[in-house]
Amino acid sequence: MSKVELGQSLRRFEDQRFLTGRGRYIDDVNLDGQARAVVVRSPYAHAKINSIDTSMAMDMDGVLLVVTRDDWKREGFQPMPTKSAVQKNADGTPLKQPPRHCLAMDKVTYVGEPVALVVAETLQQARDAAEAVDVDYDELPALVDPVAALQPGAEQIWDDIPNNLCLDFELGDKDGTDAAFAEADHVVSLDVLNNRVTAVPIETRGCVADYDAATDQYTLYNASQNMHANRDTFAEVLKIDKNKLAHIAPDVGGGFGSKNSGYPEPPLCLYAAKVLGRPIKWINNRSESFLSDTHGRGQTARMELALTADGTFLALRINTIAGIGSYAWTVGPFTPTGGSARTSGGPYAFKAMHFRGRAVFTNTAPMDPYRGAGRPEATYNTERIVEYAARKLGFDPIELRRKNLMPREMLPHKTPMGLDVDCGDFPRLFDMTMDMANKADLSALRAKTEAAGKKFGFAIAPYLECTGGGPKEYAGVAFNKDGSVDMSIGTSSTGMGHETSLAQILAATLGIDVERVRFHQSDTTATPIGGGHGGSRAMEVGGSAVQQAAREIIELAKPIAARLLQSETEEVEFEDGSFKAGASSVSMNDVIEASQDADKLPEGMEPGCLDHSSVFERGIISVPNGVHAAAVEVDPETGVVKFLGYWIMDDFGKIINPLLADGQVMGGVAQGLGQAFLEDIVYDPDTGQLVTGSLMDYGLPHADEIPHMEIGYYEGEPTEKNPLGVKGAGEAGCVGACPAAVNAVLDALKDYGVTTIDMPLTPMKIWKAIQSGGEHDPHGLLGDAA
Amino acid sequence: MPEISLTVNGERVTKSVEGRTLLVEFIRESLKLTGTHIGCDTSQCGACTVHLNGKAVKSCTMLAAQADGAEITTIEGLAPEGQLNPMQKAFNENHGLQCGFCTPGMVMRAMALVAENPNPTEEEVRHGLDGNICRCTGYQNIVAAVLDGAKAMRG
Amino acid sequence: MEDFTYTRPSSLSDAATAHGNADDAMYMSGGQTLIPVLKQGLAMPTDIVDLNAIGDLAGIEVAGGFVTIGAMTRHAVVAASAEVKSAIPALAVLAGGIGDPQVRNRGTIGGSLANNDPSADYPSAVMGLNATVVTDQRELAAEDYFDGMFATNLEPGEIIKAVKFPIPEKAGYAKFPNPASRYALVGVFVAKTASGVRVAVTGAGQEGVFRAASIEDALSGDFSAAAVDGATVPTDDLMNDMHADPEYRANLIKVMAKRAVDRANGQG
Repeated sequence: MSKVELGQSLRRFEDQRFLTGRGRYIDDVNLDGQARAVVVRSPYAHAKINSIDTSMAMDMDGVLLVVTRDDWKREGFQPMPTKSAVQKNADGTPLKQPPRHCLAMDKVTYVGEPVALVVAETLQQARDAAEAVDVDYDELPALVDPVAALQPGAEQIWDDIPNNLCLDFELGDKDGTDAAFAEADHVVSLDVLNNRVTAVPIETRGCVADYDAATDQYTLYNASQNMHANRDTFAEVLKIDKNKLAHIAPDVGGGFGSKNSGYPEPPLCLYAAKVLGRPIKWINNRSESFLSDTHGRGQTARMELALTADGTFLALRINTIAGIGSYAWTVGPFTPTGGSARTSGGPYAFKAMHFRGRAVFTNTAPMDPYRGAGRPEATYNTERIVEYAARKLGFDPIELRRKNLMPREMLPHKTPMGLDVDCGDFPRLFDMTMDMANKADLSALRAKTEAAGKKFGFAIAPYLECTGGGPKEYAGVAFNKDGSVDMSIGTSSTGMGHETSLAQILAATLGIDVERVRFHQSDTTATPIGGGHGGSRAMEVGGSAVQQAAREIIELAKPIAARLLQSETEEVEFEDGSFKAGASSVSMNDVIEASQDADKLPEGMEPGCLDHSSVFERGIISVPNGVHAAAVEVDPETGVVKFLGYWIMDDFGKIINPLLADGQVMGGVAQGLGQAFLEDIVYDPDTGQLVTGSLMDYGLPHADEIPHMEIGYYEGEPTEKNPLGVKGAGEAGCVGACPAAVNAVLDALKDYGVTTIDMPLTPMKIWKAIQSGGEHDPHGLLGDAA
Repeated sequence: MPEISLTVNGERVTKSVEGRTLLVEFIRESLKLTGTHIGCDTSQCGACTVHLNGKAVKSCTMLAAQADGAEITTIEGLAPEGQLNPMQKAFNENHGLQCGFCTPGMVMRAMALVAENPNPTEEEVRHGLDGNICRCTGYQNIVAAVLDGAKAMRG
Repeated sequence: MEDFTYTRPSSLSDAATAHGNADDAMYMSGGQTLIPVLKQGLAMPTDIVDLNAIGDLAGIEVAGGFVTIGAMTRHAVVAASAEVKSAIPALAVLAGGIGDPQVRNRGTIGGSLANNDPSADYPSAVMGLNATVVTDQRELAAEDYFDGMFATNLEPGEIIKAVKFPIPEKAGYAKFPNPASRYALVGVFVAKTASGVRVAVTGAGQEGVFRAASIEDALSGDFSAAAVDGATVPTDDLMNDMHADPEYRANLIKVMAKRAVDRANGQG
């Protein structure tokens, strides 16, 4: 048994079951009498559905049910509207969205869109029958490129949505930005591509749906990271009372945002469970996941930077276009608009900024959150135009950045994008990162690299982050007679280790042994509300809820302690796990034990009186920030990049558990580097077929491709926006990684005149950039569309 | 359907399987040993790694029938009493896992790697994990865990 | 995956009989390519004839100027073999770079050659070393064995027993892996033999493994990496995909050839 503190690298409790094969993931959930479901998916990117014939499938062995659009129409099931935080165009009109049903209705609009659900006794029977569902299609032209989809005269995916435009969003001071550009000594402008990627959690999506006719109660076990919001969505789809649907996640094998969305398969399985009166299990395979999981990033921005003669930044203009797929998913329209605007400009001081973002419908898989959802794009775009300015105008890229950072005394500051930056010390973190890198002796590294015929590159990338996700979180604590303490929370760990870190907060605050805490999460029957996982919110909102609940429990416990100490409640102080009154003290453990015993309680208090829940509501989001730096070696013969060093300083405010924070940073960097060098969702531009539909073509980073990272934390600027003083850590790694890596490669390629290159930086792309001698069209990606 | 007989985690099992049954399906569904995971369908991710006669193999890329007569060890066989072995302990100590889904395959591969090369360098560990993908950790703490686990196993 | 009848004969003749008696049989050796192919439904045989129980198909023998590797010898065994490392170290290097460790524990040389994936590593060694493919019916010279992408001149039912590699004066292999699949985007096997220099390229040709004549010519007079610089690799018949276009592949062929020569010369 052990006492713990905040800031301690407590080892994880969940590891015991994960390391022994006793984790329970969705594919490990099996209910008595369950049938298996397989989704029939569209083979076309865009096609009219003439008819769906299920008769052959229904005749096959073991087939129980085929759900089609006819069932959905007959039942009057509802579509899933977007929950985008931005709902209005710049002109005040609402964004446009087609109804998004769980099955394609009149037409299919992307390869992989669900067309039917086949249920059979066994998985193999369901698979075989899915092949036998006969769908008659008339193929239509496919729109893959959002820039082309915006052009007047382009094919329209939805008759009532002109130019395929979902949302046209603006933020900032347009006139002020125009004025600053007019007076600038230098203006640089560059189109920057943020490649479309997908999260690829190693566990694919899946669910087990159950229905109890006796109580008219649905239970959905689902590999999801957002239980309450999706329960509400699924209940709306099926037109049932949300309290009739229990939504529970078992252990979830990674999510990274991609398990946040309201997907179509769970309502289909819930419906089938009710019709058949049997549990229905559905597990996506990896190939289907590439087609049907949400994608992220995937936007192209025209970046324009105005500077004075001495390199002082004046203004930034951003004009970005993103293909969000054929429907407006849960937050799909938000990411390339509001989500990408807020941290644009990074930690640099600007007089004025203007952002325009357009979300465009395309015949591709849906766009929805992926780790960072807009902030990695904002930082990458900003750092790329800064790098381009340095290269084009002859400034030292490191000095140009250092010079333009917001000084500490400028904070608190509201940026031209409206972001409240309450605290931080950007120049200090910048210098600390340079010190870390310089300890590696960069000049010696350069000399060694060049002696071997390779090119050396170094870059430093400061980043500004902001958290997000649901602002409220619930924490419930119940004390059991066996000494255990049940803690229920509405956040959802999909690997982040909340079973440990949140227990750590509870145990440290109460001063009890951490092993007593039993953790419950991701269960709509365990907590009345829950914001799930997203926007690096777990410690900020969930951790704060736990601490708040614990502090309230201490107050509740004081009358009990007073009675035990034969003192008055007002005299009792709590410190280090003990209540003290004068010279005598009693431990929290003893007070908890007394709280179970009517004889030891003050009048009016009942056993169990310390059981308590609390809801914490965040006011303003926190602003994590930091600096990444990378040193690389480029082999000019092949274009292969090798990392020579990677250094990070992060300001996440107060660190609860440094070991777990490291894990978040390292994992985030690896995903960022995956995007920078390997990962790319590629659709055939003519047919809309997915080219990168398996891990044979969609490359993920392996152990030998990710560098060793040195990570430091600066805890000197804790935020006052939440009682823990934390700033979210979950997404920052992949915010800083792409700009540091790509700009380091650009530094290595400077002798060849290369000033721009777009992700992913495959060896071929780097080799071709070298061959081209840096020749490029800065507006080649967006042309007149920006 | 062919009947197969094999030893799994030290226990003899005899069962009928279809020709097409994959070893991983047999382990998960027939034997109810769900620690071995399926993360892809193209043999890349390594989440299904088990030991076949002491060697690490991908159980999604082998037929169950091919394991007739073999000795199989799965993640459940490493710590039958719930006491973590030195490699499992090293993964816990070094935070070498997050969501835990790739972990059984990663640990099984790590055990085989150390059996082949008891004193590996960091680079050898990184290359030695080529057949396993982790999406959570960025590998750094996995590599540290394997190096630590190797040291502990050398004694 | 469609179901099939699974048999595991213990002799070559039983295997051939089982194959002959089936409607549409396929042999399975390591299964590391075949099983994913079956999973995707790209092949739907009625019968799988597993060769793993045929004892005398695995093994390595060095004698009479040849390294002979049994068809069912796993890549990991070749990579770790002291005899191979001593006789033709490039072959051990090649085997040690196939796929990943788990794949190397199952995959076999015979299976790799029978499948003849255009991005597989082994075809380059067979072609580069002018090896002989020994089957249950005959011996096939390398040039006669390969017949384009995923195609060989094996007859239906014919089983590879072993591959006989003549020991060269020196040899080297350099591979540029596909960043996603880790198959060879380009692999070049260079050998200097008594009868001349042979340069075989895998991963790049539309018709599978091929000999790079211009590089062979360049190396014939001067077996050094520098000699490769002057060679021109035609792009006409090179593969084009998202990871490499013909121009980039042509560049990689030269670069990998240079690195293979350096390794052959003990400099890589």
